[in-house]
Amino acid sequence: MSKPKILYVDDENINLLLFKANLQNRYDVLTAISVEDALEKIGSNPDIRIVFSDMRMPGMNGIEFFRKVRPLLPEVHFYILTGFDISHEIKQALEEGLIREYIKKPFHYSRINAEIEASIKVS
Amino acid sequence: MSSLNKKISGIGFEYRIAAAYLILGGIWIIFSDRILHFFIKDSDTLTDFQTYKGWFYVIITAILFFFFLRKHLLHLRKTEKELAQHKDNLLELVEEKTKDLNEAVKKLSLINEELQQKNDLINKQNIELKETLQQLKDTQIQLFHAEKMASLGIMTAGIAHEINNPLNYILGGVTGLEHYLDDEKKDQQKIDFFIESIKTGVDRVSTIVSGLNQLSRINDNYDEKCTIHEILDNCLSIINHQLKGRIEVIKKYSEEELITLGNVGQLHQVFTNILVNAVQAIEDEGKISINTIHKNKNIIIEITDTGCGIAPENLSKITDPFFTTKDPGKGTGLGLSIAYNLMQAHHGKIRFQSEPEKGTTVTLELPIKSEADVEAKDTLR
Repeated sequence: MSKPKILYVDDENINLLLFKANLQNRYDVLTAISVEDALEKIGSNPDIRIVFSDMRMPGMNGIEFFRKVRPLLPEVHFYILTGFDISHEIKQALEEGLIREYIKKPFHYSRINAEIEASIKVS
Repeated sequence: MSSLNKKISGIGFEYRIAAAYLILGGIWIIFSDRILHFFIKDSDTLTDFQTYKGWFYVIITAILFFFFLRKHLLHLRKTEKELAQHKDNLLELVEEKTKDLNEAVKKLSLINEELQQKNDLINKQNIELKETLQQLKDTQIQLFHAEKMASLGIMTAGIAHEINNPLNYILGGVTGLEHYLDDEKKDQQKIDFFIESIKTGVDRVSTIVSGLNQLSRINDNYDEKCTIHEILDNCLSIINHQLKGRIEVIKKYSEEELITLGNVGQLHQVFTNILVNAVQAIEDEGKISINTIHKNKNIIIEITDTGCGIAPENLSKITDPFFTTKDPGKGTGLGLSIAYNLMQAHHGKIRFQSEPEKGTTVTLELPIKSEADVEAKDTLR
């Protein structure tokens, strides 16, 4: 069985590198430094299972990005990873079911692992 | 003639009647006796007639006295009656007037009481006003402090984000290291990367925290060494989260280090307030240019944004306390007012040039004060 494919979008490169370094043993980790980059990765990887995204990014925030890609990825679980407190926009996205969870930075990788495992089990 | 009448009427009635009686009586005695002696020679008859004459005189004078006295008494009684009536009337009048006066006094005392009450009220209000004035003064001081806290508050959400990101590097690095230390085959490159991540995270957090410390530093010392470029960079790092990806900062600092003596915390506040305004003026994307030059004995700092600008009618009001065109919660209306006051405290100047839809340039002019100046001043003292 191949490793589940996950995508992480964040405009801070160190975050991307650490995410990958800490999770690549268990998952197939794709990273994207921008929304454009993420859209490209999504286009060429139809088997992505889970997408994590930062909230504040140039051009488009994480929720806007998820709304945009939801039609392309109807089955995929979305997560917001952000240093900000929960906002009205994020709360609404949670209630709508657009995102599965909101995780606050700094995050523990055990939490990310647990979320991924739970998410895979459900889908 | 009339003067004689007047003189006679001027004499009292009793004198007049006594005089008239005396004269008439005298004339009667003299002439009646002569007439009687002329007609009657018989002495007995004369005595009888003299008795009749006496009686006649008494009767006539009695009748005359009766009429005189009656006339006079009637007049007196009438006057007395009139007087009594007048007296009654007067009493009544006095009573009435007394009543009126009493009422007036009552009214006056009421008015007096009201006045007293009003006076008390005014005194009370005066005390309240004094208290309110003192409260206002206290509040103003608190507001100045609160503004600093509010501008910090506006930035706090972003600052938390700024700190949470490097903390994420640290946590990620630690997780990675733990993982690799457990592992048998150690990959030095990976270990270096994790350690580097931790270091970067720590550095970034310290920069932000030291920036915050400098901004919130409270003292009234104007003899601190202020390295302008360092303070500007600190302010930029505090508001960095508001710039990222949206606003390009173009720094054109003078090549020489610009140093003056002043209050480090206050200069942080001045620059931060102006930079936050510049950021908020730019709706989507834009640029903020910061130019510094050394001109004569002054440091000139120009901060230009490509934001929405300031309407000409507002340009004179922007340093007024509480003047703001920002949405509630976005600004207190005190930022520029405080920047203005702090620049004054540094004997500096602040100027605004703006064109709506083009942008705003804020020019700060700080006199260069060196330690030599301070020493010179001290020796002069």
